[in-house]
Amino acid sequence: MSFYYHEPTSLAEAIALGEEFGADGRFLAGGTDLMIQMRRGKLDPRHVVSLHRIPGLDDVSVDGAVTLGTLVTHRTLERHPAFQGRLRALREGAEVIGGRQVRNVATVGGNIANASPAADIVPVLLALDATVKCVSPAGERAIPLDAFLVGPGETVRQPGEVLTSVRFPALPARSATAFLKAGRRKAMEISVVCVAARLVLDEEGERCVEARIALGAVAPRTSRAQSAERALEGRTPTPEALRQAGRLAAAECRPINDVRASARYRAHLVETLVSRALGRCLERIAEEAA
Amino acid sequence: MAIGTRVVGRSLARVDAAGKVSGTAIYGADFALPGMLHGKVFRSTTPHARIVRLDVARARAVPGVRAVITAADVPAVRYGGAVKDETIFATDKVRYIGQPVAAAAASTAEAAEAALAAIDVVYEPLPAVLDIETALASGAPLIHEAWEGYTAIPILQRQGNVCNRARIVVGDVERGFEDADHVFEHRFRTAVVHQGYTEPRAAVASWDSGGQVTVWSNTQLPFEVQNTLAEILELPPSKIRVVVAGVGGGFGGKLRIGVEHFAAFLARKCGRPVKLLTTSEEELTAAYPRQGALVELKTGVTSDGRIVAKAGRIWLDTGAFAGSGPGVASVATLVLAGPYRIPNLHLEGFAVYTNKTNCGSYRAPSGPQANFAVESQMDIMADALGLDPLEFRLKNIVRDGDEGPTGQVLNAVGLEECLVKAAAAIGWKNRRPEPGRGKGLSCGWWTTTGGSSGVYVKINPDGTVALNTGAAEIGTGALTGAAQVLAEELGVDLGDISIVSADTFSTPFDLGAQGSRTAFAVGNACRAAATDLTRQIFALAATQLGVEPDALALTDKHVVAGDRRLSLADLARLSQQTGGGLIAHGTFIAPPTPYDTKRVEGHVYPAFHSPSFHAHAVDLSVDRETGEISIHKYVVAQDVGFALNPTSIEGQIEGGVSQGLGQALSEEIVYQDGRVLNPNLTDYKMPTTLDVPRIESILVEHPSQVGPHGAKGVGEPPNMEPPAALANAVASATGLRVTSLPITAEKIALGLVDARAT
Amino acid sequence: MTRIALQLSINGERHEVVTEPHRTLLDVLRADLGLTGTKENCLEAECGVCTVLLDGRAVNACILLAAQCQGRDVLTIEGLERDGRLHPLQQAFIDHGAVQCGYCIPAMILSAKAFLDECPAPTESQVREALAGNLCRCTGYQKIADAVLAAARDLAHLR
Repeated sequence: MSFYYHEPTSLAEAIALGEEFGADGRFLAGGTDLMIQMRRGKLDPRHVVSLHRIPGLDDVSVDGAVTLGTLVTHRTLERHPAFQGRLRALREGAEVIGGRQVRNVATVGGNIANASPAADIVPVLLALDATVKCVSPAGERAIPLDAFLVGPGETVRQPGEVLTSVRFPALPARSATAFLKAGRRKAMEISVVCVAARLVLDEEGERCVEARIALGAVAPRTSRAQSAERALEGRTPTPEALRQAGRLAAAECRPINDVRASARYRAHLVETLVSRALGRCLERIAEEAA
Repeated sequence: MAIGTRVVGRSLARVDAAGKVSGTAIYGADFALPGMLHGKVFRSTTPHARIVRLDVARARAVPGVRAVITAADVPAVRYGGAVKDETIFATDKVRYIGQPVAAAAASTAEAAEAALAAIDVVYEPLPAVLDIETALASGAPLIHEAWEGYTAIPILQRQGNVCNRARIVVGDVERGFEDADHVFEHRFRTAVVHQGYTEPRAAVASWDSGGQVTVWSNTQLPFEVQNTLAEILELPPSKIRVVVAGVGGGFGGKLRIGVEHFAAFLARKCGRPVKLLTTSEEELTAAYPRQGALVELKTGVTSDGRIVAKAGRIWLDTGAFAGSGPGVASVATLVLAGPYRIPNLHLEGFAVYTNKTNCGSYRAPSGPQANFAVESQMDIMADALGLDPLEFRLKNIVRDGDEGPTGQVLNAVGLEECLVKAAAAIGWKNRRPEPGRGKGLSCGWWTTTGGSSGVYVKINPDGTVALNTGAAEIGTGALTGAAQVLAEELGVDLGDISIVSADTFSTPFDLGAQGSRTAFAVGNACRAAATDLTRQIFALAATQLGVEPDALALTDKHVVAGDRRLSLADLARLSQQTGGGLIAHGTFIAPPTPYDTKRVEGHVYPAFHSPSFHAHAVDLSVDRETGEISIHKYVVAQDVGFALNPTSIEGQIEGGVSQGLGQALSEEIVYQDGRVLNPNLTDYKMPTTLDVPRIESILVEHPSQVGPHGAKGVGEPPNMEPPAALANAVASATGLRVTSLPITAEKIALGLVDARAT
Repeated sequence: MTRIALQLSINGERHEVVTEPHRTLLDVLRADLGLTGTKENCLEAECGVCTVLLDGRAVNACILLAAQCQGRDVLTIEGLERDGRLHPLQQAFIDHGAVQCGYCIPAMILSAKAFLDECPAPTESQVREALAGNLCRCTGYQKIADAVLAAARDLAHLR
């Protein structure tokens, strides 16, 4: 690999460089994806633009809604006091990637922009109805995460456009999140399957009013299991309802056979992990109420 | 136990630790010379093909490139271990994806890579033989059409794609099966796994003006590299010096030539030193991994649990070149027999060629594969007979004075003690404490490889001791163990001994850090040297003190006669004036183990020397829906003969089990159409801190008649039993029997689903 | 390819390095500065042998551009000793038999140091979690965990 290296000190400068280089340039955040793809010869940009000197891109702001700057690291997510309790899924999704060395530098924005179908915090953000903000010379746009992701490694971000933050609305009362992952070993794993769930119960705490189930590593992009979500909404979340949601999610996912696992096993895991993640949500809603 | 010894038997800190924790220790991968060039290897991308065209002209013209070489630039030599079937570069054919076809040296590694990208090669594909069954089918394409003409060890039984068939025959198995009340037949399969050393193979070669080459490398066996280089450079060994710079783990994968020859050829061509370093991808596609195996076992037992006959075949997929295959196939038959009294045996080990990576030796070669089969079947049989797996084993294991499968007489058999202690430590009486949880056992036996070791030992002018050994320290701490033996003999402290090692020019021959032999053989060579050195010390001291040598004692770094004494330091300085210095040469070679030659055929390794015995026990739970395993406890009881350094031995056990768990649960090099699908550490999954439980080590001592203070080899055995122990525990926990490695969560989860459906 | 001039702070010392932009911190440490205590292996942030501390945090030097380290403090294993005295972690690794081939050890010690700096009284489980990004093939991790726990106790006494 061989490139010109740039370190803009403002967002405006980064945007200008992005426009100048277009598809000949790549933004560098933590480097945990870009550096490896360059070394393997999959990417060969002429210009690398590091974002790490731009102030304000690593802020976490919590005011009901949560806004995560693009350079917020997985380490920050792991430790932030806001991501306990009902929002614990964010921590759970962040703490399972790589080892500490990777989490110390790997960023939220980099993870989203890289759009690996097996990404871990992306399902959590999808389950939280997150919106991504991108900035270019044409201005700012806010794109729902579900619309932002297109396919493996592919998003609607244009070359030169800077992903600056991701935001999700406040959790309503009587709701919680959970995240579960399966892999072949207990650390340093790219998910064989991962599941993020969010449940919102009604005022009596009896029926589900909103369900989000996001699946990783079982489709070309992180996706919601919408038939499973619809089956839960309006119903009482009994153990059988959770198991049925698991079955529906398993039926609608599109896993592949690869060196990590077979499609059949992935579908089987989806069924188990969806039902367990939903169960965790219920436990956390109950904890919060107690 | 260490009673009455000062140094051996104590858990002293290893002598090389300080350099390693401070980052000053230099490894082969760190070694560099001024002005050196960087080399890269161009490798085949197809598993079996004729080379129609190979043109390196464009590559040679890449800026910064100093040389590009192919088969046309090197001697047309065939080399190898048991079978000389290898060439430096592919000549007319390539036989596996990853086989070296050319090499380039350039001023930077990137320029060398650019040279490789500029090599023009055209292949004409040939039908590829990608697994054992295809290789053995009648009419199968031959991977080595000229196999008959290859030089090979005469006793090998070679035929077509089989580069050895080793066989043990005892009694009459057919009769035995007739006499048995039950006959069990099972098949097992294991995957290819890599040693996983964290330091890649490396070499720097530099030629001097006298036509002599020095190679700094991280090999485990510099004398083997020297021999191979001599063969392929067509030079006498005295023109070749191999120096071990420092080894970041080997486990057998660094025993044979890695990149040293490319470095040597490129350096000669360029007139500059050249360094090569393998990448993770090269390690996982073109190194010397453990053979994948297919095992068939047929065992006859009586209803009350006596094993009366066993017929077994193990096919080892040795890849495109024989490598260690023929020897490993031989060893495998001894592991297939198991540490059991069986009057009728028919055991065969086959090394089979395929168009895949040529495999080599990895910590207890064939051990885990064959032990997985034997010990899994033991539990299956015990279960079918309604017997406790521990009692079933105890009823059949060998004892002192028994014969091994090839007729060797076994003594110092510590197996019963190992089994009983391991079982007690795991709480065997409560084998299934709760649903989804179970305990499993596995036991086995292994060798302490023989071969020759030599050392020089001298007293320095300050009274400290210099130990000069041909063995490389690869991480096991074996040289510290040998130094402890030496310190014990000479009455000095471990801290008084400095070690120089593994330089073919200046250190005596050693058969290398392999086969669990290093502390054993180097330790004994040290004892021999110490005996002679003590004689020299006393002879010199006698002249000074005016007494007979036999009136002297060596105590506390002094020679003592009554109330007069001379320090070793004084004697060493004196010896420089009186002539010669105080220096001794000690050698050791293990005496051959007698066995019955009529029982074996094609067998390169017919007896286990100073054998060790071991038992593993594991307690685990299985998540029945995901198939994931949680290990609660893992116990190893190992007969080490005499524990030279208990902490070091525990370290060998803990590391060996960790590798064994990897082979058992998560590691495999996955091939598809001859291509490795996971040639990186993302998808070749070695255990992390969170995957390895705490391991309880119980050191049992039934002293060897040969080893220093009774020590036996300890390094390899812990790698053998984990797969079977885990398979047995999973079966105990779930009722599901997995007969292939690795035992992944997927196999367990889907196996349970399928079992429920039937 | 145009080279760039970098001022790097390694173990408290300033180094002026002129190099191509694509070179990693690992390349510069080992080849340009002769600091071979930081090791190379997978070059893909999967094995951890290249771990150094960047502003006190453990990172993989193999995927860090040297250029990104300008103005930041890098600590390698060579910087851990003080006046020829080993750090308690280094001593604990020796005392507890945690070193075998040693190739993973500099990285392991640095990861442990960063961890103990923020978590001075850990459990074994926390130690293992903190070191999950450092592969070791020789030891099975047990004596490494023991050494880190012992060093934590030693460091507590020193405070």
